[in-house]
Amino acid sequence: MTLSHLATEDVFVVERNDADFRAGQGMTKGLGIVFRKFRKALFGKPNSDRADTEGQFNVQYPEERLVLPEAYRNMPILLYDDATGHELCTSCFQCERICPPQVIHITQAKDPATGKPVPAAANFVLEYDTCMSCGYCAEVCPFDAIKMDHDFELSTGNHPELDVNYDRLLRPISYYEAIAPTMWSDVKEQAMKKLQNNIKRRPGAIGRDHGQKVKGGAAVAVAATPVAGAAPAAAAKPRGPVAAIGKNMPEEKVAKLISIRAANAAKRGGGDAAAAPVAEAAPIVETVVDTPAASAAPSGPVAAIGQNMSEDKRAKLEAIRAAKRAQRGE
Amino acid sequence: MLKTEELQINIGPQHPSTHGVFRMLVTVDGETLVDLKPVFGYLHRNHEQLGEVNTYLQNMPFTDRLDYFNSMVNNHAYARAVETLAGVEVPERAQYIRVIMDELSRILNHATAMGFMLGDMGAWQTALLWGMREREKILDMFEYVSGARMMCNYCRFGGVVRDIDDWFITELKKLMQGLPHYFDDFEGLLLNSEILLARARNIGVLPKELALAYSVTGPVLRGSGVAYDIRKAEPYAVYDRFKFKVPVGTVGDVYDRFLVRIAEMRESYKILEQALEQLPDATGGFINPKVKQQSLKAPAGEAYARVESPKGELGFYLVSDGSGSAYRYKVRAPSFINLSSLADMCKGYSIADVVVILGSIDIVMGEVDR
Repeated sequence: MTLSHLATEDVFVVERNDADFRAGQGMTKGLGIVFRKFRKALFGKPNSDRADTEGQFNVQYPEERLVLPEAYRNMPILLYDDATGHELCTSCFQCERICPPQVIHITQAKDPATGKPVPAAANFVLEYDTCMSCGYCAEVCPFDAIKMDHDFELSTGNHPELDVNYDRLLRPISYYEAIAPTMWSDVKEQAMKKLQNNIKRRPGAIGRDHGQKVKGGAAVAVAATPVAGAAPAAAAKPRGPVAAIGKNMPEEKVAKLISIRAANAAKRGGGDAAAAPVAEAAPIVETVVDTPAASAAPSGPVAAIGQNMSEDKRAKLEAIRAAKRAQRGE
Repeated sequence: MLKTEELQINIGPQHPSTHGVFRMLVTVDGETLVDLKPVFGYLHRNHEQLGEVNTYLQNMPFTDRLDYFNSMVNNHAYARAVETLAGVEVPERAQYIRVIMDELSRILNHATAMGFMLGDMGAWQTALLWGMREREKILDMFEYVSGARMMCNYCRFGGVVRDIDDWFITELKKLMQGLPHYFDDFEGLLLNSEILLARARNIGVLPKELALAYSVTGPVLRGSGVAYDIRKAEPYAVYDRFKFKVPVGTVGDVYDRFLVRIAEMRESYKILEQALEQLPDATGGFINPKVKQQSLKAPAGEAYARVESPKGELGFYLVSDGSGSAYRYKVRAPSFINLSSLADMCKGYSIADVVVILGSIDIVMGEVDR
């Protein structure tokens, strides 16, 4: 039985060396190689070249880090213009459509006066926990608004925090330019041109009304409010109960949920039935105010208290913190 | 009167030697193995059904997760299947880039596969890290071109997503300077090692006829002495332009499979050398610009495309009803089919040999269970 329709010159039989088997010899040779490598690793220079097969190969992470290539993709982020604070996203839904695990959820912004759709996103939610980092969203985006971040240290103990919403997805263009200079310079011109066209069609603060824009453009967006930072931007848009319950839920569903919660609270015999929705509305704004450090660093997706935390967890955390403060005698 | 009784033992699913969540129900008579029943499905994640829901492009990153050691090869095979179905032309440069990535994958796969097998023999971690070190260098290159080390998602229909640049070629040449030293060291360290010989010679013999009857492919089949390699038998991409040989074994034991893999790494090195030499310049482009990647619609029909993955014949079978996603999507996974010969390979050997034989097949559960 032969399947060998290959020409004989294409095939060779591997040498089994059955004849020159002498006890101890093979192992001595192997140990010699191990010893040589060991010596080079101990006294040799750190390995610097891909051609080297000897020396020290380890990198002392986190103190030392390898340079990530520009094309490296971890999680998607959204860009906004440093100068004007305008977001590049126009909610064209291309990324939402292509996303293989379907983790992108966009809400289109509407002109409050006319009710017509505006080329901007009202909210943009990305489920980081289910994202498979394939990079298709960045590939298909015609406005270069969504890009792949290099930050890979995203571990958190709070799972709901991984439903990242618009505020925490936004990064200034300068941030992306720093991590991927040539990739940005390739698309810069057309991206900025498209953005200018879109800005003309955005009334008021739409397209730049999301939090965290501390530098540059933020001043334009929040000039009317006295407090600097992300808090006013967040406060300007009452997203309270929606964010607390589920970011993409329609109004009726939210109302329904609130009423169910109120009914449940009443059943438990608590007098706090009326207070429930208020409690839900409050923490979001409070969180942003509470954590200026988090809002100051545009690269930090780790807010002190997650925006998506459940109510009881948030309360628990607050209680622990209060106790700690009391302990320190503050 | 004294009498002995057979004993049933479960190995796995959570066991460091089972290469993933794989369970073996073994029946032993003393130390000798009488029967082995493989149990799998722990990693089933509906891959083939997902392929019928996803559009053609959306399915590409899912193929990365099949054999996660060789996502470049998986991408290549899937892209070839869709290209055959939709009649897409691939520029020559893209073909060469795909071949370079495939052969790099083969080197890294064989290096680590042998490391894992030696780990199963008792050389825990040390031998594995020898393989991992070279693999790491290659993964850096993959990261540079594709953006990810393992889940590359690199191929597109009619080409690849990003061209390789001068940096890549210089670094690849540097990497290739070190590779022959690495092969020599690897052979010197292991080839005549008495421990390896004692654990591998005449263990897990798979006769030629049985290997063919099981439709085993890849290094396992070649170790059994059948000279069958899709790169030669049915040259795809640009493999007919390279001079390389197909190594075959004589006995079909663990040792032969080991030797075949080392020989294959050296052959891959030769292919890489020739591919770099012949690589056409960028004028032809690295992707066919006419293909609508996102809204690709294939005419009704069926297509089967196969490549020689480091583990064997990897094939994708697609049936199209003319819409934007496959009507039927089937993966011919080499790990799965090679694994089916495990019971016959193990019978009559001692229970300690089972893990070594399993290691010599070189399976990845992501591909077995899908």
